Amino acid sequence: MMLGLALSTLRHRKAGFVGAFVGLFCAAALVSSCGMLMDTGLRGVVEPERYVGAPVIVSGDQDVRAEERKSSTSTKTKTKPLGDRAWVAASVADRLRAVPGVRSVVTEVDLPAAVGAAPGAESWGHGWESAALTPFTLASGRAPEADGEIVVDAAARLAVGATTPLRTPAGTGVYRVVGVTAQSLPHQSTVFFGTAEARRLAGHDGQYSAIGVYPAGVAPAVVDALRGTAASVFTGDERGRVEFPGADTARTRLISMGAALGGTSLLVAVLVVAGTFALSGQRRQRELALLRAIAATPRQIRAMIGGEALVVSAVAGTLGAAAGIGLAFWLRDTFAGLGAIPVNLPLVVGPFPPLVAVAATLAAAWAAARVSARRIAAIRPVEALGDAAMTPPRVPVLRLAAGAVALAGGVVMTVLLSTIRTERGSGPLTPVTTLVWITAVALLGPPIARGTVAALGPALRLSRIGGWLAAANLRTDARRLAGVVTSLSLMVGMACTLLFAQTTMAHARGAEALAGNRADYVLGTRIGSGAAEDVRWLPGVRAVTEVLHTTVWTGVTSHSAQAVTPAGLSQTLDLDVRAGSIDRLAEDTVAVREGLGPGLGDDVPLSLADGTPVTLRVVAVYGRGLGFGDLTLAHDLVARHVDVPLNDSVLVAAPTVDRATLVGALRGEPGVAVLDRITAVSASSDGGTAVNYVALGLIVGFAAISVVNSLTMSTLGRSREFGLLRLVGTTRRQVLRMLAWEAGTVALIATVLGTAVALATLWAYSTGMTGMPTPYVPLPSYLSVVAVAAALALVATALPAALALRTRPTDAIGVGE
Amino acid sequence: MTDAVTMDVVSKVYGKGRNAVAALREVSIGLPRGGFTAVMGPSGSGKSTFLHCAAGLDRPTAGSVRLGGTELATMSETQLTVLRRARIGFVFQAFNLVPSLTVTQNITLPLRLAGTPVDRPWLAGILARVGLADRADHRPAQLSGGQQQRVAIARALVTRPEVVFGDEPTGALDTMTARDVLTLLRETVDQLGQTVVMVTHDPVAASYADTVLFLADGHIVDTMAAPSPVAVADRMTRLGAWVR
Repeated sequence: MMLGLALSTLRHRKAGFVGAFVGLFCAAALVSSCGMLMDTGLRGVVEPERYVGAPVIVSGDQDVRAEERKSSTSTKTKTKPLGDRAWVAASVADRLRAVPGVRSVVTEVDLPAAVGAAPGAESWGHGWESAALTPFTLASGRAPEADGEIVVDAAARLAVGATTPLRTPAGTGVYRVVGVTAQSLPHQSTVFFGTAEARRLAGHDGQYSAIGVYPAGVAPAVVDALRGTAASVFTGDERGRVEFPGADTARTRLISMGAALGGTSLLVAVLVVAGTFALSGQRRQRELALLRAIAATPRQIRAMIGGEALVVSAVAGTLGAAAGIGLAFWLRDTFAGLGAIPVNLPLVVGPFPPLVAVAATLAAAWAAARVSARRIAAIRPVEALGDAAMTPPRVPVLRLAAGAVALAGGVVMTVLLSTIRTERGSGPLTPVTTLVWITAVALLGPPIARGTVAALGPALRLSRIGGWLAAANLRTDARRLAGVVTSLSLMVGMACTLLFAQTTMAHARGAEALAGNRADYVLGTRIGSGAAEDVRWLPGVRAVTEVLHTTVWTGVTSHSAQAVTPAGLSQTLDLDVRAGSIDRLAEDTVAVREGLGPGLGDDVPLSLADGTPVTLRVVAVYGRGLGFGDLTLAHDLVARHVDVPLNDSVLVAAPTVDRATLVGALRGEPGVAVLDRITAVSASSDGGTAVNYVALGLIVGFAAISVVNSLTMSTLGRSREFGLLRLVGTTRRQVLRMLAWEAGTVALIATVLGTAVALATLWAYSTGMTGMPTPYVPLPSYLSVVAVAAALALVATALPAALALRTRPTDAIGVGE
Repeated sequence: MTDAVTMDVVSKVYGKGRNAVAALREVSIGLPRGGFTAVMGPSGSGKSTFLHCAAGLDRPTAGSVRLGGTELATMSETQLTVLRRARIGFVFQAFNLVPSLTVTQNITLPLRLAGTPVDRPWLAGILARVGLADRADHRPAQLSGGQQQRVAIARALVTRPEVVFGDEPTGALDTMTARDVLTLLRETVDQLGQTVVMVTHDPVAASYADTVLFLADGHIVDTMAAPSPVAVADRMTRLGAWVR
């Protein structure tokens, strides 16, 4: 019954609901696309390419596991996917050959091997023994036998008999193409060495990267045969896990990224939509008062407003969820382009994310409408009789109480955030802290607005017409002012928080990395030990340090770590050692950052990137964890346990050697850049930051849309007032100038509030993450945020005002609200 | 003749303490059933407050207001709402209609809110009486001011209320249109036996009533039966002097 009334109101007052519609549409699109990213993280499949011809693949356990005690009696095993491939002992192959029913067993080793100088692209070398896994067959030429012979895939565009430079961890060598395969794989290049040379180049003595077992029917028997060993059996799409070890980590990242982004947008949506409903409710006060007078109970008014919200959100949610599918594809492509997720992880398009988005939108709209209806429904029917525009002077006790609770919540969240030292924890908590603060601003908006306007009044009145009128308007309609200030400070606050959390972290990292880097030259990137050897014996070179970034695990917690060659380390790196000595770094020792937990002399159980467990003794505790990672290990130990044992950089201490000499010495290693340390440090920004900027753009864009929304609504609702002003002799120009003053004041208040909220959050973030209370806020970026906010406020006021001023004043004043 | 509404020493005070303003001071009056009563008085005399209290739109600070036998002064807001939609009709000065609803929908809105089925013949009769039978599907924006007020009267009548209250129902209309609307109200009293109570400041409007109550300073200072415009205007002028 009330729904029918709601429907006819919606039909009649389309304009009033455009704001809510747009907000809900965006929210649904964001939630639905984030849901699809999460779904992809949960159910996404990276299909095998190279192993597609082998029905059963045996390899190492591709997960780290840790027993977690849930209570005194029960424990739960937590697993996290490894970032690098876990190899399997060679003896397993023999055991497999003995399994009844096994027809053949194909072993494989792999190593990064790039034809020409094409670093970065996925390009793997194997022994010809494993060609059957795909299977690869020769289109021309013969199989490689001797060292220096290779077979390339069909996509390499090399002919039999050609010679080509080839980069492997051992360095760059010149190889002769003796065969070309008939096949090539969609997401990787393949190079085959002779079996013996491949095993030698790959390292991992006594291990295989994977073992293919035929035929398919033996899988259960293989599982039985391997029970109790460290080997795992993979069939079907699971084989892709072994072939693309990073894919699982990327899927985990997608889940957390999607959850953080989707959750934040949902919270923003509730704020935005509550604001829009409150604004449209204010515009309809007279109508609602009339309904109250001719006998609608407050409950019926609430039901009507709730019904309107449900109808709007059902339409907006459905359309938005559909649009979210497109957005999800775009996000996936963008993230893949930034290298955050593998290109061969396709988006999972399932029905649940859009459905959840529609449901979440409905719930958010309904909740927002009920909150704003609470006040609207309390309109006294008497107000319909006379001047319904009068705003009740009652003190909204409940709202103030809720505001106080939100304020307290903001303080608690901020203090909590200041104790969190991991990206995993602070990543989602940071925007939520800002949102809690903004919620407090939204709830306490009217008194805040009244207070600030009282303070700014004298300044405004310096302008005798525009400013004077603006001051009067702002003072009388504090609730409308509070609405637009909230949405604008949400945008400023979110933009500053998300943007400057990035810069703060990058700055702290960069500052430490630069302060701790004592090298005269930095060679980069993805270079083999050969290049390091080339410069190590040059006259004048005092020390050469190979640096390889990796991940190590304590239990199922991953840590960033660097592996360095210990010789002469103190001449190239200064980790700010607080205890112990970095000179004692060796294959059985480790250096840890201060605050990680372990102390000097402790034995730390770790898992390396490929899952290999090691126990290392702490010989040094250092201060520059941000710039150099949680742990520092010996290069020789780590290089044996990563997929790509190529150095991310090589630090060279050679104060007396000029650049040309180094370049000359590296002539045999194409693609190695020789940089000074400042350039090298600033160039090493990671793809994770770019991904965060994409998320930032989406959230801030959403907030900006809501700003335009609320300003447009509040300006269009005043055409009657503009008509009156013009009838009493105010020119259009004077009205516009008055509005410009108002918009300027709104922008000023919102900037101050948004900045204050962001600074509080950033203080906590910075304290927790960098140990320094001052966030790094580059002035030009901050000024651009402020400029965009001010421009939005002006444009979103001026355009609808110009539209409203086009009606003749006599008509405008006759228009019922 | 019995009274439709009885007010017994009704006072209404706005604000508290030193800021308190008494809008009604111990008013006692009976509004006769089947009669047309006009309430007049200068600005600030309390005539709007009188109407609000009599109609259950507002609760008095002290005293008793009874509609038929029902005491209104002690009812909750929701009880008052339910009572209003069943037993009272309203015609306001302006903004009487919900712009998104058609004429018929506006008229039947109280029934819809109450969940009561529409009595079709009665509705058709009312539409014919207010002369809007051919405008039933128009929206308020398509109607003139006088037509809008007639829709409001139709809506006030649709529930067969015990009393129809009008708050300056002709205040926003020109003289000719106002006369039509007042004639319509008069007819409802004469032909349907409807009780009508109307606040106005226009002596001509008041002259359509059976009785005029004069309010000043929160008191009923005079009543006049069978009023003529000249007599009412004359009384109002002296009332102004009396207040001074």
